[in-house]
Amino acid sequence: MTKDLLLETYNLHKTYGKKSTKFDALCDIDLKINTGESVAIIGKSGSGKSTLMHLLALLDQPTTGTIKLHGTKTAELPARRLNRLRNHEFGFVFQQFFMNSNDSVLNNVILPLKIAGIGFRERKRRAIEALKIVELEDKIHAKANDLSGGQKQRVCIARAIVNNPKVIFADEPTGNLDTITGEKIMNILFKLNREKDITLIIVTHDEDIANRCRRQIRIQDGKITSDGKTQKGGAK
Amino acid sequence: MKLIDIIKTANSNLLRNKIRTFLTILAIFIGSFTIILNTAVNTGVNSFIDKQVASAGGDGYIEIAPAAMLAQIEGMMGGNNGPQEYNPEQNASELNYIDAETLTAIEDINGIIPGSVRPLRNVRVEYVTSNKTHTKWKLRVNELPSNNINIDLTAGNSPRTDSDQPEITLLPGFAEVLGFVDDAGAIGQTVTLAIKNQATGELINVDATVVGVQAPSVVSMGRSWLNAALNDRIFAASTKYLPAEYANRVMFATAEFDPEADLDFIKKGLEELNLSGMTIDDSIGMMKTFFDIILIVFSIFGGIALLAASIGIINTLLMSVQERTREIGLMKAMGLSSGKVFLSFSFEAISLGFWGSLLGIGLSMLVGNTANTIFHQPGMFLADFPTFSLVEFTPANCIIIALGIMFIAFLAGTLPAIKAARKNPIDALRYE
Repeated sequence: MTKDLLLETYNLHKTYGKKSTKFDALCDIDLKINTGESVAIIGKSGSGKSTLMHLLALLDQPTTGTIKLHGTKTAELPARRLNRLRNHEFGFVFQQFFMNSNDSVLNNVILPLKIAGIGFRERKRRAIEALKIVELEDKIHAKANDLSGGQKQRVCIARAIVNNPKVIFADEPTGNLDTITGEKIMNILFKLNREKDITLIIVTHDEDIANRCRRQIRIQDGKITSDGKTQKGGAK
Repeated sequence: MKLIDIIKTANSNLLRNKIRTFLTILAIFIGSFTIILNTAVNTGVNSFIDKQVASAGGDGYIEIAPAAMLAQIEGMMGGNNGPQEYNPEQNASELNYIDAETLTAIEDINGIIPGSVRPLRNVRVEYVTSNKTHTKWKLRVNELPSNNINIDLTAGNSPRTDSDQPEITLLPGFAEVLGFVDDAGAIGQTVTLAIKNQATGELINVDATVVGVQAPSVVSMGRSWLNAALNDRIFAASTKYLPAEYANRVMFATAEFDPEADLDFIKKGLEELNLSGMTIDDSIGMMKTFFDIILIVFSIFGGIALLAASIGIINTLLMSVQERTREIGLMKAMGLSSGKVFLSFSFEAISLGFWGSLLGIGLSMLVGNTANTIFHQPGMFLADFPTFSLVEFTPANCIIIALGIMFIAFLAGTLPAIKAARKNPIDALRYE
């Protein structure tokens, strides 16, 4: 089965600091990610895995090198197009949730739609839809702060999928959760990957999570050390 | 993000820290309250003066004084000009009077109505009484210079300036103390004015007919109006036995001019005669300037309060930007543009200004209208002026001031808003 090419990177470098404090966070990254893949980016802290995710998610610009999204060089796109792309095509799930804890679940979930400028009714309809997928539609009016850690991350997933994205970037999505809850969260993410053909790009240092992804990219000191299909099992 | 969502979000963000928001609004309120109340007092006073002037009329009436006298008055105001050498040619005391030749010369100025120039003789009355009472009452009088001037009357008519019968109008309250039934009952009655002779000190009685009773007014300044015939009789009684040269000295004159005529030309003509002219509009203008200056000073205090409030806005929003660093980062990651982030914080500042000025308008209206009611109670200083609103709120003024304050708040908010807009989403998300 041939898949559409989603993201390509050529000769990607990212350097922080100048001269004596110069530090290469990423070196010579060449990647191709297809639509519908589930990719784990694995590495220790400081290996450059988060930096790579930020570059792929168009949150940061590489020092040198090219990133293409759907075949278009992203460096040539104006800021407005980049904002639109992130809003329409990407969903984000973070380890620390990043929710407005004093706001309701609904208001947290509709944030990307609000930014997109979608009207109130449509926002609510789509938020309910997204919350149904993570099985939290009964918590729609609850205050975000009153939820458990697992529920919070499920709300974050609802927020990530509310705009029907093509890609979900998840940065250590289970890092703040216990094993069983983390398992549930991963089940939801992989179900979305399977059923909605959403590309998953998961940054993690957890081998169990990495093993559930179809593809593993290992990073060490800013360089890719291995990139290939997961050996034992793979995604179910 | 839609504008309505930005405004709603800005307001709900303000509600997150209620006490801090309230205190910032309070600071803005102090400034806006001061400025709005001041403007309302200014409007009230000015519209009162305008109403009085409109009721006073007095078009085409000008008061004339020697220019040297005005220069002296200005000299007194300006303080010490240093020693000036005596010059017999320019004897200051001589220049303080208008001589007979000059009086005729005034009539020749283009625009002055011939025969209308009249020496203005200020006269004093010792007391007023009538044959209905034994009591004597103090009275201050003014000659009514022209029937163009409308007097607010509760009964009767104005004294006729062209009549040869001595006529007077009474001030409020005089009808009763002089033994007449009421204001209307005083019309046509005779009152006796006692005049002190300037040479001998003897009291000479002059009778006058009451033709009207005045309503309270600032234009008449608590004086009864006389017609020329009565004024001349009082002047004669007061200057009897004085040398004619002394008695006939003229300090001020009045004249009527064609309202269509060029007033600047008339004033220039008076200047050439070493005189200076002042119309009712001129003196009202001086009065207004005086009030304006007082109110401008108070408005400056309000402005200083607003300046302090602006620093409060900057402080509040900087704290808010700090607290919401991650949220800003998240929203930018989700595609919110820097411009919208700037707009969002700007609207927070504008909202602070909006609520502060709304509170200022509301409370100053409450205070102003309460003060209006209290000061119009019997015995209070505005009891006699039912038409005078001490404070007058016009919607235009309130809107302009509110918009001005919102603009100042916006300016104060630009610094924090720029700081928020420049946040890099990655750094912001990493921020602990």
